[in-house]
Parts: sequence; C-alpha cells; structure tokens
Amino acid sequence: HATAMQASGGGAGGAEGRDDQHSSRTPACQSGSGSAEGEDVHRAPEGRGGPGRGRAVIEAAVARPGGDTLRVPFQLPLEADMARRSLLPDAQRHQGLIRKEFAVNGSDLLVRWTAEDLAFIRLSMNPFLDQLSLVIQNIQSLGPPPRQSLS
Amino acid sequence: MPAVLGFEGSANKIGVGVVRDGKVLANPRRTYVTPPGTGFLPGDTARHHRAVILDLLQEALTEAGLTSEDIDCIAYTKGPGMGAPLVSVAVVARTVAQLWNKPILGVNHCIGHIEMGRLITGATNPTVLYVSGGNTQVIAYSEHRYRIFGETIDIAVGNCLDRFARVLKISNDPSPGYNIEQMAKRGKKLVELPYTVKGMDVSFSGILSFIEDVAQRMLATGECTPEDLCFSLQETVFAMLVEITERAMAHCGSQEALIVGGVGCNVRLQEMMETMCQERGARLFATDERFCIDNGAMIAQAGWEMFQAGHRTPLSETGITQRYRTDEVEVTWRD
Repeated sequence: HATAMQASGGGAGGAEGRDDQHSSRTPACQSGSGSAEGEDVHRAPEGRGGPGRGRAVIEAAVARPGGDTLRVPFQLPLEADMARRSLLPDAQRHQGLIRKEFAVNGSDLLVRWTAEDLAFIRLSMNPFLDQLSLVIQNIQSLGPPPRQSLS
Repeated sequence: MPAVLGFEGSANKIGVGVVRDGKVLANPRRTYVTPPGTGFLPGDTARHHRAVILDLLQEALTEAGLTSEDIDCIAYTKGPGMGAPLVSVAVVARTVAQLWNKPILGVNHCIGHIEMGRLITGATNPTVLYVSGGNTQVIAYSEHRYRIFGETIDIAVGNCLDRFARVLKISNDPSPGYNIEQMAKRGKKLVELPYTVKGMDVSFSGILSFIEDVAQRMLATGECTPEDLCFSLQETVFAMLVEITERAMAHCGSQEALIVGGVGCNVRLQEMMETMCQERGARLFATDERFCIDNGAMIAQAGWEMFQAGHRTPLSETGITQRYRTDEVEVTWRD
C-alpha cells in the first residue's frame, strides 16, 4: 500500500530548503528546458496586467513524488497572502482524507498536501489548481491591491 | 446608502448583482445548459462558472455605473448547494473583498430568495413557498427565524421535473422545467400518479420512479403522449404544493402567500396557488424569471439587510457548506 506522505519537520522552513534546490534549476522564462528529471513545470497563461505591472507569469513547480509542496510565486508578498486567505477556508473540506496546509514565504505561496493515499492528493490537486488559477486571474484583472500596512 | 455586490453560483446559474437601498442596479447571469437527457455535474458546472465569473463581475459594475469604491460590502452564497460551484464563487468573493478592502458576508441561498421576493413584491409577512431544482420548503417568519413548516422529505419538486425531462430527452434550454410547462399546455389526458403529501411535508422520489416507469410503457403502447405525462406530473405535484402551503397558511392565519425559486416561474403553479388564495381571501405574490431563478441580486439584497443589521463574516469563516438550513440564520433585521 502507498506510504504516507508526511510534512517534514520544521514545517514551511523544511520544505523551503528542498524547494530552493529545485527552483534554482527551473528558470522562470523557459518552458520545459532545464527541468530536473521527474519534475513537472506548468506554465499558466500570461496575465493581462495593467500598466507598470509587467508580465505576470506564474510558474508552478511541482516537486517529484517524495516531495510534497507546491510553490507558486506571486509578484508581491501581499498578493501571495491574499491568495492564501482566499483558498484557505475551503481547505477544511474533506479533512478526514486529505490535509492541505498553506504558508507564505516572501512572495511565494506554499501549499502542502498530506494524505494516506497518493490518489487523494491527485484528486485534490486538480480542482485546487483550477481554483488557484481563478484567484490569480482575479488578482490580475482587478489590478494592484490597495496599499495596506500589513507586514 | 450602502451598495452591496452579491455573488451566486450554487447550481447551474451564475449571477453577480448589485443592490443599493432596495434598488437592483445590476443583475447579469449565465446558465450552464447540458444536452437533453443529461443533468449538470458539479465539476463541469464549477468549470463553467469559473470561466465567466470575472466577466460577469465587470458587467455588473458597468451596468450599475459603479466602481469598487462605491461598493460597501461583498455578499456571496455560503450554501446550500453544490460543493465545487459554491467554492468557485466563494474564492472570487474572498479575493475581491481583499483587493477592495471591503467586509464580506456569507448568505443563505434560501434567505436570498425570500428577501428578494419580499423586496420585489412588497409582501409584508407572507407564507413562502420556496420551490426550485434543489429545494422545496414552506416557510413562515416567526421571532427572528424563517421557520420551515413543511418540506420535501426526499427530492425537490424541481429535481423531480428536471429528471423526468431527462427521461423524455426534453431540452434543458432555457431550463427543463420551462419546456415541461410548454408541453403540459398541450396535454389532454390526466394520467393518475401517486399523490404523496405527508402531513406538512411532501415526497417526490416515488412519483418520479412511478412516472419514469409508466412513461416507457404508455408511450410505447400509445396510451398517452409525452404532453399528457408533462401535464399529469405538473397537476399532481403542484396540487401537493398547494395543499401544504394552504395547511401552513391555515396554521399561521396568514393572508399572504409568496412563491420564490425557479419553479415559481411556472404559470400553472401560480394559477393553482391563486385559486387557493382566492378561496381563502388571501393575496398571492410572485416574481418574474429575473428574480425567481437564482440570481446575484438576491444574494446582494439579503446581504444588504444583514450588512445594515451589523452582520460581518470574518474572512477565515467564509467557507461554504452544502447543507445550510433556512432556520439556522438569525434574522436580526426583522422584528
């Protein structure tokens, strides 16, 4: 039977360590080339972006099996945190079968899945990526968030 | 004069509405229609909603002639409804609320129907018949709750009609119920179907099984036409709804009845309810398809009442829930 995928000790810090290793091998502007073996780089469509925002290209690097964290870079830490708060309330659904944890590191949103069965993770990831894509489009289409004094 | 933006997408309709001080400033909507003989599934419905919701948002603001600064509150459907579609709409409501730095409110879908019905018709304290593809309830207001006096013990009346439409491969455009209604007008023969009122409640799943079975047989032998079956089904289920509504009205001594929900568009149902109301000296209220059928403005309107009464939902509590009883909400905005 499938082995349980556990969050590594130290939470986001531990995952971040592993992710840095992978992300340095996936340059933002190239699709596919430079990917490590077993890694999947998915490029979402470019955002519309307003004047001065530049191209908002979202790159999601899915670590290979054995790793367990999705890293989604945003333009600003505020945007990553907004995305986290938009997606978090639904993470509580189906908690018996699968656990999703969110963290924000700089302007990256980190999402970690934990489940007994890899199949549940796959089932959870697909709809999640759809919701995430919608949040990203939403942020891009409505323009920059208001200046707030959040750290 | 607060203006509230409302998002609705609990079933196959996705709508964004704007309401300010009792005026509907915008109410665009799209419907996900599937081929005849099929129904709509959660994942596909959510995909449909995601594809159009941001455009609908812009349409609503443009139609209302407002910008984000003019909006005071974001309301969205917390439930009840289908999971994936509810989530798709909720994530946008949460994102918009953060981007514009506005308070957010989770609204009960059924209460949205009721509050829009009250607003549009001006009914003061009606007995409400809420009938749609997902819900069938008889509701009366008492002491800060919309109390459920009677309801279906299995499927909604609209679900019964929609699933029967699949058996006959009736088109789902604009809705299966609408097409059944048109066919029923040409029905001539009343086929006897089970009549299942249980006290204050009703049951439709047995009638559906029965008519699915009968349809195959009778259409094959030519004993009746599809139009006769549509007519017979409507006459039976609508009579049941009239009975339980009348029972609630008698219990409450009510002189007003209000029909809300997508099935409330049905003119035959309105006729039958009107007959009953006239016999009791009561008044019947109903809305047109802009507001009967799920829409964003009804969520905005319920949200407006809640906002004025001081309700706020912390972002961390803006989850959705597929089961959300009408009487779970404390209706603090009414006496």
